[in-house]
Amino acid sequence: MKRYITKRIISIIPLLIGISFLAFILINLSESDPAEVALRVNEITPTETAVAEMREELGLDKPFFERYITWVTSSIKGDFGNSFVNNKPVIEEIGQALPATLMLALVAFVMIVFISVSASILCTIYEGSIIDRTIRGFVFIAEAMPGYWIGLLLIWFFSIKLNLLPTSGMSSWTSVILPAVTLAFAYISTYVRLIRNNMVQNKNENFVLYAKARGMKEGIILKRIFKNSLQSAITALGMSIPKLIAGTVIVENIFAWPGIGRLSVTAIFNYDYPVIQAYVFLMAVLFVICNLLVDIVTAIFDPRMRKEV
Amino acid sequence: MRKINIGLLSVLFLFLLASCSNSENDKAAKDEIVYASSKDIRDINPHLYSGEMAAQNMVFESLVKNTEDGVEPWLAESWDISEDGLEYTFHLREDVTFSDGEKFNAEAVKQNMDAIMDNEERHAWLDLVNLIDENVVVDEYTYKLVLKHPYYPTLTELGLTRPFRFLSPNDFVDGTTKDGISGYSGTGPWVLSEHKENQEAVFTANEEYWGEQPKVNAVRWKVMPDHQTILLALEKGEVDLIFGSDGDMIDLDSFSALEEQGEYVTEMSEPVASRAILLNSNRPITGEIEVREALQYAVDKQSIADGILNGSESVAPTLLASTVPYSDLGLEERKYDPDKANNLLDDAGWELNSDDGYRYKDGEKLELNLYYNSDNAQEKTISEYIQSDLREIGVELHITGEQKQAFLDRQKSGEFDLQYSLSWGTPYDPQSYLSSWRIPAHGDYQAQTGLDKKAWLDETITDLMIEHDEENREAMYAEVLSYIHDEAVYIPLTYSRTKAVHRPELQGVTFNVSQYEVPFENMYFDTE
Repeated sequence: MKRYITKRIISIIPLLIGISFLAFILINLSESDPAEVALRVNEITPTETAVAEMREELGLDKPFFERYITWVTSSIKGDFGNSFVNNKPVIEEIGQALPATLMLALVAFVMIVFISVSASILCTIYEGSIIDRTIRGFVFIAEAMPGYWIGLLLIWFFSIKLNLLPTSGMSSWTSVILPAVTLAFAYISTYVRLIRNNMVQNKNENFVLYAKARGMKEGIILKRIFKNSLQSAITALGMSIPKLIAGTVIVENIFAWPGIGRLSVTAIFNYDYPVIQAYVFLMAVLFVICNLLVDIVTAIFDPRMRKEV
Repeated sequence: MRKINIGLLSVLFLFLLASCSNSENDKAAKDEIVYASSKDIRDINPHLYSGEMAAQNMVFESLVKNTEDGVEPWLAESWDISEDGLEYTFHLREDVTFSDGEKFNAEAVKQNMDAIMDNEERHAWLDLVNLIDENVVVDEYTYKLVLKHPYYPTLTELGLTRPFRFLSPNDFVDGTTKDGISGYSGTGPWVLSEHKENQEAVFTANEEYWGEQPKVNAVRWKVMPDHQTILLALEKGEVDLIFGSDGDMIDLDSFSALEEQGEYVTEMSEPVASRAILLNSNRPITGEIEVREALQYAVDKQSIADGILNGSESVAPTLLASTVPYSDLGLEERKYDPDKANNLLDDAGWELNSDDGYRYKDGEKLELNLYYNSDNAQEKTISEYIQSDLREIGVELHITGEQKQAFLDRQKSGEFDLQYSLSWGTPYDPQSYLSSWRIPAHGDYQAQTGLDKKAWLDETITDLMIEHDEENREAMYAEVLSYIHDEAVYIPLTYSRTKAVHRPELQGVTFNVSQYEVPFENMYFDTE
């Protein structure tokens, strides 16, 4: 087991180098000169001298590879440079915005787990009934609805028509409900389908028949079916954690939620390269790490996985 | 049993929801204006450009103020201008203090002006900065500004939202302001009391304010990046006011929809800025004056104003409105006249090919490219409209939406036939707008480079700024604007207006001369 984990950890090193290179190269793929952009976002006319000075200030006059090395070495120390827009350290900006996103993702995650598990169990117990069909119909529709639209509908219904929740912002604890529901929506439909189908399939397995023949209680049998149906869902859920954190962009914009999704969108609109680079890099690292953890967890539970590497 | 549990749970959940219904709406008398903006106020350092201008304007004040009736006294009670136009002596108000208690006097003015000059290249767009020779403290409440050349828009530029506004010298860092400041103490009617980045900012009324006190206690500036959310929040009553120019806060469709609903008050300012299409004189086809002229007659501006802009903007007969200083020249308007456009193109040798309906000359097709900023929904629709107008006279127009930075890059490189141009609006028009024509990074400069007299044009603009004699200056403006008009480098479309939508209880919503300022200090809630 130890060997497996070490191997996996070592294998992510080239991956991280690749990611950092890609994140860095983005800036060079764009046709816009970062020095000019940095001037323009502050509404300074990009005259030749101003551009030259800015190039020097940003170190853009140095060769490509040297810049890459400088960026990587300082990034490792957590220094992603300063934002073009407000000249504050990027890491500070991200540090400020991250808690809001984490909170949103956490609430959404709890909703996802709670709702998809209970809905799938209901579906399995009452398979084929009106409950099952209603939930499946709902899942079908929910999956087809874009998050943007769901968000606006929820605001319209819960905060304007019913006047129960604030439309947006982060003023009280109730503010998190609507954005979290919006964020959770698409995931819930995926997991309900996944878990329900697994459970329904397992229901027809021999071990269920055997348990029934032995006269075990319905509840205990259901528990067994549920446990056996979770494996693929756990992998998927594990990978949905980084997706939730990185996927808050639209939701944060609609609900004026001050998290990293919004930070990144603003940065993209302003061509705030240091922020974009840091965001891309950190999100990629998050995915790699979560992927690694999920693999390790699966390996712990299922020894077959270890051999395949 | 299970069913009962689920029932109980859902009832509990509903109670929970009901308990968190917020009671903000039930408050009796509101003493806080909630203003929604898609942008955070950011750093409102008055001497830099990264903050929101409306926020900077709330906290910081200038020596003089630009109003509809011209420049009026503000922190300076009066001023004298020397005969040669080089020395401006300002007599300051004696009853003004910064919100940190520091006295506002000539020394503070000088320190601020020096701090601005310390960062001269950042303000290069503003001619006045380049012309300041000396800042002199004459006595405690008299300050003298000495220029290198006479410069007629001096007072107007001193009254702009930035950079000539005053910050308490206690907030300076290392004696200057260019590398950040340690506080935001100004002399204005509002004090920034709270700022949660990307969420909201609260401005409270400055109790020590020298002028008339604001009528409400506070302004809460809420950041809502999504326009739909802003409208929903307005509907719910969480927001009192939306205010903005050129579709950056409210798109025109929503504006008209709100207007029709009648539940809110919608207001529009006088025309502030000019919306036009640049015709690049430095490109093969648009380099021909006949083509440029024909295009002028081919665009149906009235339909754009009525159909796309919902009548919220008036048709622009000339680039600058006749109400803009020095611009009432009686230039001949080129009205929509497709026949005339066709004749002009025929005469220029662009013959219509009856097979495909486009014009050709020496085997070359009459096709042009128009670029617009894809963030702006209005520009896209207008572009499509122009495309079909030009199709009528046998011109193929390709339209391309680009992201803002790419769009600006293209302006600078001059690689466009047609491109959007929006003037800076009052009080920047005409002087700052014309001044920017001389800077290569601007599309205006690029579009004009093909003109025979471009060098003369730039020189005249430079000279007229420092022309001391009013009559000569008028004549120079007339020459410049007539030349640009005759050369048909701009298709003037409409004059844009600043728009506001607010709840009916909110009163006193007015507009400043500059579209970037929001006069919160005049607003109040009707107690009825």
